[in-house]
Amino acid sequence: MTTPRVGIIGVGQSKFTARRNDASYPDLVREAVVLALKDADLAFDDIKAVVYSLSPDAMVGIGNAERIGVDAVGAKNKRFLRINTGGATGISSVISAYYHIAAGICDVVLTAGADKVGECGDSQTVLNKIWDPTYERQLPLGTITMLAMSAVRYMHKYGMTEEDMARVTVKNRMHASKNPHAHLSKETTIDEVMASRLISWPVKLMDCCPQSSGGGAMVLASEKYIRERKLAAAWITGVGHCSESYYLGDRMGRGFVADHADAHALKRSFERSYAMAGVNDPQKQVDVAELYAPFSNTEFHSIEAAGLAQLGGSISQLREGRFSLGGEIPVNPSGGTLCTNAIAVTAMIRAAEIALQVTGRAGDRQVRRAKLGIASGNGGDHQFFGTMVIEA
Amino acid sequence: MELLSRQETWNIAYDHALGETASFFFTQIRDNAKLYGRRDAKSGRVLVPPRAFSDQTLEPTTEWVEVGPGGQIEAFTIVYERFRGLPEPPYAFGYVMLDRADTAIGGLFKGLDLVDPAAAAKRLAIGSRVTTKFADHRKGDVLDFWFEVHPIA
Amino acid sequence: MTNPSRVGVIGVAIHPHITDARRSLEEILFDTTREALADAKLSIEDIDGIVVGANDQYDGRAIAVMAASGSVGGVDRDILSTPSAGEHAFVLAALRVATGQFRTQLALAWSPTEASPLHEVQRLAADPYFHRALPLDETSAHALQATALLAAVPGVEEAAWAIVVKNRRHGAAAYPGVTSPVAGLSDAYPLRWPLRADMVAAPTTGAVAMVLASPDWIADHQVQNVAWIAGMGWATEPSFLGDRKLAFAPALEAAVEQAYTAAAITAPLASFDVAEVSDTTPYQELLACEALGFAKRGDWLARAREGTFATGGKLPINLSGGALTLNPVFCTGLIRIAEVANQVRGRAGAHQRPGAARGVAHAASGGAMQYNTVVILSRGDEGARA
Repeated sequence: MTTPRVGIIGVGQSKFTARRNDASYPDLVREAVVLALKDADLAFDDIKAVVYSLSPDAMVGIGNAERIGVDAVGAKNKRFLRINTGGATGISSVISAYYHIAAGICDVVLTAGADKVGECGDSQTVLNKIWDPTYERQLPLGTITMLAMSAVRYMHKYGMTEEDMARVTVKNRMHASKNPHAHLSKETTIDEVMASRLISWPVKLMDCCPQSSGGGAMVLASEKYIRERKLAAAWITGVGHCSESYYLGDRMGRGFVADHADAHALKRSFERSYAMAGVNDPQKQVDVAELYAPFSNTEFHSIEAAGLAQLGGSISQLREGRFSLGGEIPVNPSGGTLCTNAIAVTAMIRAAEIALQVTGRAGDRQVRRAKLGIASGNGGDHQFFGTMVIEA
Repeated sequence: MELLSRQETWNIAYDHALGETASFFFTQIRDNAKLYGRRDAKSGRVLVPPRAFSDQTLEPTTEWVEVGPGGQIEAFTIVYERFRGLPEPPYAFGYVMLDRADTAIGGLFKGLDLVDPAAAAKRLAIGSRVTTKFADHRKGDVLDFWFEVHPIA
Repeated sequence: MTNPSRVGVIGVAIHPHITDARRSLEEILFDTTREALADAKLSIEDIDGIVVGANDQYDGRAIAVMAASGSVGGVDRDILSTPSAGEHAFVLAALRVATGQFRTQLALAWSPTEASPLHEVQRLAADPYFHRALPLDETSAHALQATALLAAVPGVEEAAWAIVVKNRRHGAAAYPGVTSPVAGLSDAYPLRWPLRADMVAAPTTGAVAMVLASPDWIADHQVQNVAWIAGMGWATEPSFLGDRKLAFAPALEAAVEQAYTAAAITAPLASFDVAEVSDTTPYQELLACEALGFAKRGDWLARAREGTFATGGKLPINLSGGALTLNPVFCTGLIRIAEVANQVRGRAGAHQRPGAARGVAHAASGGAMQYNTVVILSRGDEGARA
């Protein structure tokens, strides 16, 4: 059975910053929605369903905060539901919006969200609460420490050094300097990153993503709608999700399926979206990638999980410039999550950026002749992974 | 124009049922200073911390296996940054595969000098042997025990 | 707009009243998952994807799906989470099967009672900008809606009381031996006028799981007892109670229109053998009756007196006893859908309506029925139209 195609016809994103004292949380959602509708040249009435993108309620300090967002997305009396897969929420929302259209329910769907991470004090305090109270809540686990441990295992397995990690930050900041939406857009050097203060060994301050405030929104439409109105669109040709065991300790020891050093379930998620899109040789077929990597070290295993390098092989290739703008397969030309992280929408921005890339609308960060791009989102304790293939 | 803000705090208490498996694990720690895992028959793996079922095989686990007190480090980190609600830095913690276990359990590493990160990281390198230490007065939770690296030979 | 390809419910497990404290939440979910899979006669390996609906604050885990994922078969599988409502998990799961890209889906929702006080948990949903300082938990919101109805409809309190009696009587038959404790003055769950203590049920711990499958799967495996989705609709009210007409249910009407159009329902009262509607308070059931086209407000009292919607009546509503009998707050919505699925599959046990071939479920979540979902399920052999 052939599934009719679904296209992305509009994207909107804030200029991300640390604090947005001028706007409430719903204001930030509305900001991005207005931008996306404008980009799609549509009005609120054209939207038939909304998928709301929001990860932990505790980040914005409002229980079931999507209820407050209903007005911001113009969903009164419309189809509306909310997705939360942790950090992967944004891409899971885009994919859920895709399912609305692919199921034949309606022709035009909006997905949107925002985060005001700065308002909850330390996000690590909130993120400590994602761990199960039975065995792990009392340990000082947070996303930084959890991924620092991934770095430790990756170092042990493949010989990654702290300078290798710093190199990822340098690359992404250089990319972000060309992106007017990025939060941290100041270029930097390996020395500067190495000299930044140590947070959780081996992760230093400049190996970490910022806490960003801002919104993201996208409009998806059916192929029929797009053709009838002769709209420009980026086509969603592959989607997929996969997840790992919640237990970090099960990804270690003996007999594990997934090693906490790698991103096994991300690889499995890409297998699904690649199969759908007919991508059987990613290194040849992928022109550009926006891979969710909130810490410098995690970009390596994400690149490998996407099949763009062998396990452990991305380190030297990144050093050689293969994944920089101008290189063979630019990874995170927007600057990526490392430079901007509004958790509720970060993974949506990955998809939005690829949509811009394959339609030639990525400004100074445009990858030349980009026709096929991939996007990924990670959530939970490196547990949930959503991936997409988006083409011109 | 003047911009206002509001302070809000969440005041919710939880009483989480731990179930029989976790309860056995913690009562053994509290009363006997012993650690146990549960075997998943399908994969053969002894899961620590123990669970009533394996999320990989979706089968109930079948038997208790005493594990530790020795073990080896599978992952670690050393925290130097202060976060609200989390301990005063520096502290080291990570995951240890206890002897006779196949998965690793989280816990704090104590008894080593953390002032020099690189040196501490060497002491905690993956594969390093550790011993589980128990608090004199135990409540029946994960903070009743911690791991200490063996002295340098 | 084309209708989606058909989706069938082939397995159900409903637990609205879990009282044993021997299991952790994850163990409860594990057991409920296995039960639904067994009912569908398949194993977790046959499941292409999972959608769960749980509330982070009820669970006490900042991302509820994390610890729960493994329990419901999420490892190495495609699992999504819709914390807006338990019934939204069903909606998304159904959409996924309807794309033709998934042969099966597992949808779950659950509602623990480990958080206290629950009204504080709910109060946190009020926005901090204008409403957080008010005691605006869900019961308060439901009470405000009841107040609006009292003002709009003379005699509505009697009709409401009749619903309580009806549903409790149904509940005593459906779940015998389970007393429906009156929510008295307690620390965990205060009540608000005009909602009297016996007009709502105290929160219970619950879990519900459903297995959905595509026509291909069902044909390939010769599955019996299928409840086909004949129509589905869902819609939301606006954010602030003050912006809504609380004596009416426009979002529910929008959801009803989507579902009825898809299933070509033109004479609702004659079209269904059973219905399960949101009855967290009896006033919700009254509004649902109207929006579903069963009884306009002028007829509520007459229908109640005639027993139209009681056992043996023309269209029994809430034969399960509804949320007025057992109230696992966050999953009552998905349970309504599961109950109708069971009726149509002939698997509703003590409260089965003999010969039920088509039913409609209405799930509401949030304050004063903010989210509304309508699902029409049918055996498929009584002439359901495309």
